[in-house]
Amino acid sequence: MSAEFLKALTANRLSEGDVVFWSSGQWVEQFAEAELFTEEAPAEAAVAVAKSQNRIVVDAYLIDVTRSDQGVAPVSYRERLRALGPTNELGHGKQALGGAAIAALQAASGAARSTGRLDLIRRK
Amino acid sequence: MYRYDAIDKEFLTDRSNEFRHQVGRRLAGELSEDQFKPLRLMNGLYLQLHAYMLRVCIPYGTLNVAQVRRLAWIARTYDKGYGHFTTRQNIQFHWIKLRDAPDILDALAEVDLHAIQTSGNCIRNTTSDPRAGATAEEIDDPRVWSEVIRQWSTLHPEFSYLPRKFKIAVTASAKDRTAARVHDIGLALRRGRDGTLGFEVMVGGGMGRTPFIGQTIKEFLPATRLLSYLEAVLRVYNRAGRRDNIYKARIKILVSSLGAEEFGRQVEEEWAQIDAARADLPDTELARIRAAFIQPGLEVLPAVSDSYEAARAANPALARFARNNVSAHKALGYAIVDVSLKAHDATPGDANSDQLDAIADLAERFSLGDIRVTHEQNLVLPHVKQSDLPALFEGLVAVGLATPNINLVSDIIACPGLDYCALANARAIPVAQSIAQRFLDADRAELVGELKIKISGCINACGHHHVGHIGILGVDKKGEEYYQLTLGGSGAEDASIGKILGPGLNADQVAPAVDRLVEVYLAERQGEERFLDTYRRIGMTPFKEAVYVDAH
Repeated sequence: MSAEFLKALTANRLSEGDVVFWSSGQWVEQFAEAELFTEEAPAEAAVAVAKSQNRIVVDAYLIDVTRSDQGVAPVSYRERLRALGPTNELGHGKQALGGAAIAALQAASGAARSTGRLDLIRRK
Repeated sequence: MYRYDAIDKEFLTDRSNEFRHQVGRRLAGELSEDQFKPLRLMNGLYLQLHAYMLRVCIPYGTLNVAQVRRLAWIARTYDKGYGHFTTRQNIQFHWIKLRDAPDILDALAEVDLHAIQTSGNCIRNTTSDPRAGATAEEIDDPRVWSEVIRQWSTLHPEFSYLPRKFKIAVTASAKDRTAARVHDIGLALRRGRDGTLGFEVMVGGGMGRTPFIGQTIKEFLPATRLLSYLEAVLRVYNRAGRRDNIYKARIKILVSSLGAEEFGRQVEEEWAQIDAARADLPDTELARIRAAFIQPGLEVLPAVSDSYEAARAANPALARFARNNVSAHKALGYAIVDVSLKAHDATPGDANSDQLDAIADLAERFSLGDIRVTHEQNLVLPHVKQSDLPALFEGLVAVGLATPNINLVSDIIACPGLDYCALANARAIPVAQSIAQRFLDADRAELVGELKIKISGCINACGHHHVGHIGILGVDKKGEEYYQLTLGGSGAEDASIGKILGPGLNADQVAPAVDRLVEVYLAERQGEERFLDTYRRIGMTPFKEAVYVDAH
């Protein structure tokens, strides 16, 4: 079984700490605007660029993304939480924006480890 | 409370300026993240899932009115309008921006607060009894000794790079409200036969992935020799503690591998080498510190306030609050009031800015300006006249802080968990809320009585699950949140580590499982037994059968 290669690049913005996603050469706030990589080479190239942006972001890593009827969402529950905000305060974090894209993320189910983050923790 | 002198104030200002400079260099790209991270951690600034988190030290859980107002202001100005009190009597802000952090440290320094040693492998904030100076149970005021330790351990050059972090607790009452036996060092004040003051010294307690109850290595350490003895303990640990494996680096692992007796022997040997005249605190300095904790303003009052008694008789809500949140004070006519941060729909330990401001106002009016933080994530107003209790109660009701549930089933410790923490495997807050929701019936909660539920979102055990009467540990089972229940833990004077109940449960199953555990207890309990006592008498089996009945 060969799963579809589908990844996004995430990090935290240095000066604020906000979760950000890579989108064609810039960092955006919302997962819905994230660039989706379907091949490894461009994904790794983006990681390399992110790592060179030491003054802009920290802890850049790739996350697995999945497609469903609702749309695209991070595979791992932890990454969906990062893309949305805490579940105890729905007015805090990116979910406060509301709208269809946020609703799609909130509706996404299933959970898996964030492999990118595990690698990050291991590196530390 | 202890007041900073000119040197303390100058030091904090310098430290804040230093950090401002470091942040500037980081933002300018002159420091890499690898270079900067240890510097920000030395100032309590972590990067969590959604933002930076700033952990502010609250020395032995003691705050004055100006400090609480400043925390409220910081929450409002730089965060999302709330702060989170931790299981180590500190406060965390979860939505901090790096660029604001220097301004926040300045604002903290103006009221003698800081974030130093709230992270890193150093001696952390000393835990103490939130009822210090107010309870008649205490042998001596533990804040005096906590302050001695604070001054000694702050930027201690020899102990700034220990194998791992190091936590000390000082308790002075038979009832331990500090979890002393699960600290790296637990100090219990004792009176010798000759009336002199001393400490029982317990070492090697801790939670995390390898929990241990601390073992006594000295039954009676003369109080005047405290610092030299602590120096000896830290020195043995610093020298022999493991640095090759982060999971085996705490003192508990060293004490366990050497045995408490051998560890104690090595400490005695080291202690004998230390020049007491250099290391121990001069009596004059101790007297100076002690004087700072003499509580001015306590009046001579009748033992019973008639107006309070009448109000309590007339108002069932006040009566319930009094039963659960009000305790005896050492001075006649006064009371100690616990303020619960565990309303059923609240996040355990959170207080918003309006609530913090209200607490400051109420403490100013009714508690001699004194506010305490408990390691169970609640607040205490330690010096309240009984005659002021009805007005205080109304003031607390007005801001949603009169929840009458101290030590009851819904007074749950929960770490921030996966909702905020970069280390967590599972959420803790929604699980706490689901249990609180299930036990909304206040009469039933009182019928159940003392029941300490503690929830951690990972094995690091910030939520103290190992010492919960019912402990709940969030685990990541193939990427899904699961919860491992333990029974029989205690962080109090009867300390013990909980034992695993059975296979993990999913989030929806936890509150019903707690309910079944409570039903078993209510059916089995004898006399005045608490949940913990019944468990200790009848063992795991009946509880396990009740929870897993459907699995058979």
